[in-house]
Amino acid sequence: MVRTERKKSDRVLLFSVFALMALGCVMVYSASSYSAKVNYGNEYFYLFKQLAGAALGALCAIAFGFFDYRKLVRFRIVILIASFCLLALVFVPGIGVENYGAKRWIRFPFFTVQPSETAKFGLVIYCAAYAAKKHEALTTFKGLIPILAAGTATCALVIAEPNMSITVCVALVTACMLFICGAKKKHLALIALPAVAAVPLLIVAEPYRFRRLMAFVDPWQSPLEEGYQLVQSFYALAGGGFWGLGLFNSRQKYLFLPFSESDFIFSVIGEELGFFGCVCVIAAYSVVVWRCFRTALKASDRFGAYLSAGVGCVIAVQVIVNIAVVSGTIPPTGLPLPFVSAGTSSLIAFCSAIGLVNGVKRNSDLL
Amino acid sequence: MNNSIPKTRKRLLTVIASITFLFMFLCVRVFFVCVIDGKTLVLRAKDQWSRDLPLKAPRGEILDRYGRPIVENKSVFTVYVKPRSVTDVGVTSEILASALSLDAQKLAHKIKNSSVGEITVKKNVDFATGEKLRRLGLDGVYFSTDSTRDYPYGEYLAQVVGYVNVDNVGQNGLEGYYDRYLRGVDGKTLIPSDNSGKDLEEVASYVKPLRGATLATTIDLNIQSFAEDAVKRALVDHNAKRANMIVMDVKTGGVTAMASAPTYDLNSIPRNDLEMLNAYSKNTMIVDVYEPGSTFKIFTTALALENGVADDDSTFFCAGSRIVDGQRIKCWRTKGHGSQHLKEGVCNSCNCVFMDLALKMGTKKFYEGLRGFGLGEKTGVDFYSESSGIMMKESGVKPVDLARIGFGQAVAVTPLQLISGVCSVVNGGIKVTPHFAESVYDDNSEYYRFLPETKRVISRSTSDRMRELLEAVVNEGGGRKGGVKGYRIGGKTGTAQKYASGAIANGKYVSSFVGFAPADNPEYAILFTVDEPNSYAYYGSIVAAPYVADTFEKIFYYEGIKPVTHEPKEYVDMPALTGLRFAQASAILKEKGLYYEVEGEGEIIKSSLPLPGEKIEKGDVVLIRT
Repeated sequence: MVRTERKKSDRVLLFSVFALMALGCVMVYSASSYSAKVNYGNEYFYLFKQLAGAALGALCAIAFGFFDYRKLVRFRIVILIASFCLLALVFVPGIGVENYGAKRWIRFPFFTVQPSETAKFGLVIYCAAYAAKKHEALTTFKGLIPILAAGTATCALVIAEPNMSITVCVALVTACMLFICGAKKKHLALIALPAVAAVPLLIVAEPYRFRRLMAFVDPWQSPLEEGYQLVQSFYALAGGGFWGLGLFNSRQKYLFLPFSESDFIFSVIGEELGFFGCVCVIAAYSVVVWRCFRTALKASDRFGAYLSAGVGCVIAVQVIVNIAVVSGTIPPTGLPLPFVSAGTSSLIAFCSAIGLVNGVKRNSDLL
Repeated sequence: MNNSIPKTRKRLLTVIASITFLFMFLCVRVFFVCVIDGKTLVLRAKDQWSRDLPLKAPRGEILDRYGRPIVENKSVFTVYVKPRSVTDVGVTSEILASALSLDAQKLAHKIKNSSVGEITVKKNVDFATGEKLRRLGLDGVYFSTDSTRDYPYGEYLAQVVGYVNVDNVGQNGLEGYYDRYLRGVDGKTLIPSDNSGKDLEEVASYVKPLRGATLATTIDLNIQSFAEDAVKRALVDHNAKRANMIVMDVKTGGVTAMASAPTYDLNSIPRNDLEMLNAYSKNTMIVDVYEPGSTFKIFTTALALENGVADDDSTFFCAGSRIVDGQRIKCWRTKGHGSQHLKEGVCNSCNCVFMDLALKMGTKKFYEGLRGFGLGEKTGVDFYSESSGIMMKESGVKPVDLARIGFGQAVAVTPLQLISGVCSVVNGGIKVTPHFAESVYDDNSEYYRFLPETKRVISRSTSDRMRELLEAVVNEGGGRKGGVKGYRIGGKTGTAQKYASGAIANGKYVSSFVGFAPADNPEYAILFTVDEPNSYAYYGSIVAAPYVADTFEKIFYYEGIKPVTHEPKEYVDMPALTGLRFAQASAILKEKGLYYEVEGEGEIIKSSLPLPGEKIEKGDVVLIRT
């Protein structure tokens, strides 16, 4: 191979991510302008936050591209412990912020942070680093234990908030990491069994989860209670039809669809831009995920490959779960759509992860 | 080394393949929700996206046969309050309450403690009041224009038209019967609103209300006014419980006028006094039955002629009573009428004649004929809760009953049945269906049109003969007062005792007269009944006939029907008869050209009405008491 001095950024990846973020800003404004005006007296309330988040995110995406990701391998334990600490902080009175009956945020002087957003990537970094270092050990069950332990601990902390959706997300990502990093199939099966068995237990543990599950089976039975969110999401998507009602023409944003600017922004996209717009957005995510995996396939080292693939998995899992919820394919659960949903923590975390993937790409070009 | 680079590559590709599959699956899923289920879902969603403000469809008008409105609409306001937008509850409710005659404190309480977005303060606020309030521009007070019923003629046809409830839905009468046509289709304004019901600043969509169809009736408002006048005068003149008049088109059965007194003003319906409302709004001419008495003899005669059991040469003897099955049934004149031809019998209204006729015909033929006239069954008039009258079960009719039915006892009919039957008798023998509606139509189509029947009940010759006989009753018999000089009028009087809980109610009568004109080719028939007259007399000839004559006279003038003969009106002085013998008095009256009704069976005249010396028209009927 000829060594080239110029390290090339993954322009397709960055362009796709920035496009999604731009769409996110527009859609967040469209979805939230009315509710923001009603609740905060300022229709730009969410837009301004989102623009700030997007700017910071873009900065991180570029900056992390210049960061030597290989340094992370050494700090893997520190990163994991930092992740756990942040997750634990939400339970500290005065620091943790409770909202909708869940403690998911940490209060900083001027902003709040959702540590579960960073924890996903903390876990990915740890798993990737561990697997890269001990890749031979992964063929034994014993070798899988650190990854399992990290995953389980993260899940436990997240579900205690409680946050079912991110727990599921973390569990899926952990499974993906184990698979990618070369765990044996019989070991995977051994791990999957108790995980699958845990699902009904978790559902029975919290009555609201069972009600939500029933609402998912037939949302029309309780269109004003448990089924409300799903019914309203259906109305939004249906209102859009094939071509959509046109940008800013959502009817559901008039307080009908709760979380229209965050977890259910995809419904508003469907309503305003139609099925066509939905497919475009899914296509953009496909490009992003594909670029992550492409980088993983071409990475110059195992850590880079596992890291890129892990980030790709986080994005893919979250997109799939989010859209599946919005379209009534799985029971409703709150999970932001990466790069698009309102929420600065999520934006910055995802953008930083994209930056790391870009770094892997830039490095692989050196070969 | 098991964990090779190619293995990692393979696993990465597996993950990519899975993700690709899931993304595609989601696309399909979204397609289903957006496009396949879209339409049904949107139909459900539409309800929540807008607040709809109903736009009441104006009710269709009810017109008389010349297109003049009997019932029309007027604009009224409905006043609403949106509690959240009211700035000063105290002042606002004070102003509203005083203008709309409500309780200010109650209203204020309602506004303050409301959990709904909108309160209806008052409906049917008249236009002037509503407009005045609207000009004040009070915060949070809204108005919508509505239409409500307006009756240009107030009391006219009150029992026929019926009324609507506060929501403008027809309750009874024509308003009720034709409600499905009259009510129209409500429209609405769809005002886009958010989930809390707040209006959005967007253009509202509008579904136009469809005005109700027009009901064109057979009523003639002019003739109605004559009828209204007649019943009101009769009620007062005879201190009666009720007076009813039906004017019917002899050939079609169309009701030209139908009036009842006492009545009420449709523009101020006594909604708070249900008992009174029910009593006054009931159409006794369709819903209630009465024993017709002598007017029923028309049917007996017609059917006897039709069945050939009697003709002009038949003679009858009346000794004052008949013994049927060992039971003595009295004629109204207990002294008897002696030997009479059919025509005399009809003119004398001799009960014995009609007993003979009924008995000769037999129950089967008589009942068959009566049913042909529509007696004993509903006439099919376009009106709710019609009564079918009361006729004894055919199998249970004994000769005694048959004889009684022959002269109009032991049978009960509705006034509408009676006049419809009479129309069939005199119109050439064709059955008529009484009706109010001529047609129901709107700008686009005609929904209903009355089609007359052509079923024959009796032969033309029987009908012709009946007209002659009944004209004779007016010219020579007891129906004198039903006549109008110079015109040919046929008719028959009726005086029936009322029954109360199965027994004859003493001193309570229904006096009636049924007439038709012109007698040679009748256009109108009039039935006039006076329920419980409490004046100097109760004979149909005196209590009922004059009002029919009067009404006919007005109709002739209104319709431009010319008299057939020009007889100058002659007047005579009422002779002094008191103390004379009956035969003497009768001779004097005959010489003067006066006719008489006799009350009592004595030989010496005790008094007379009018009193001696009064100027009366020649040919008038006077009352003498013995």
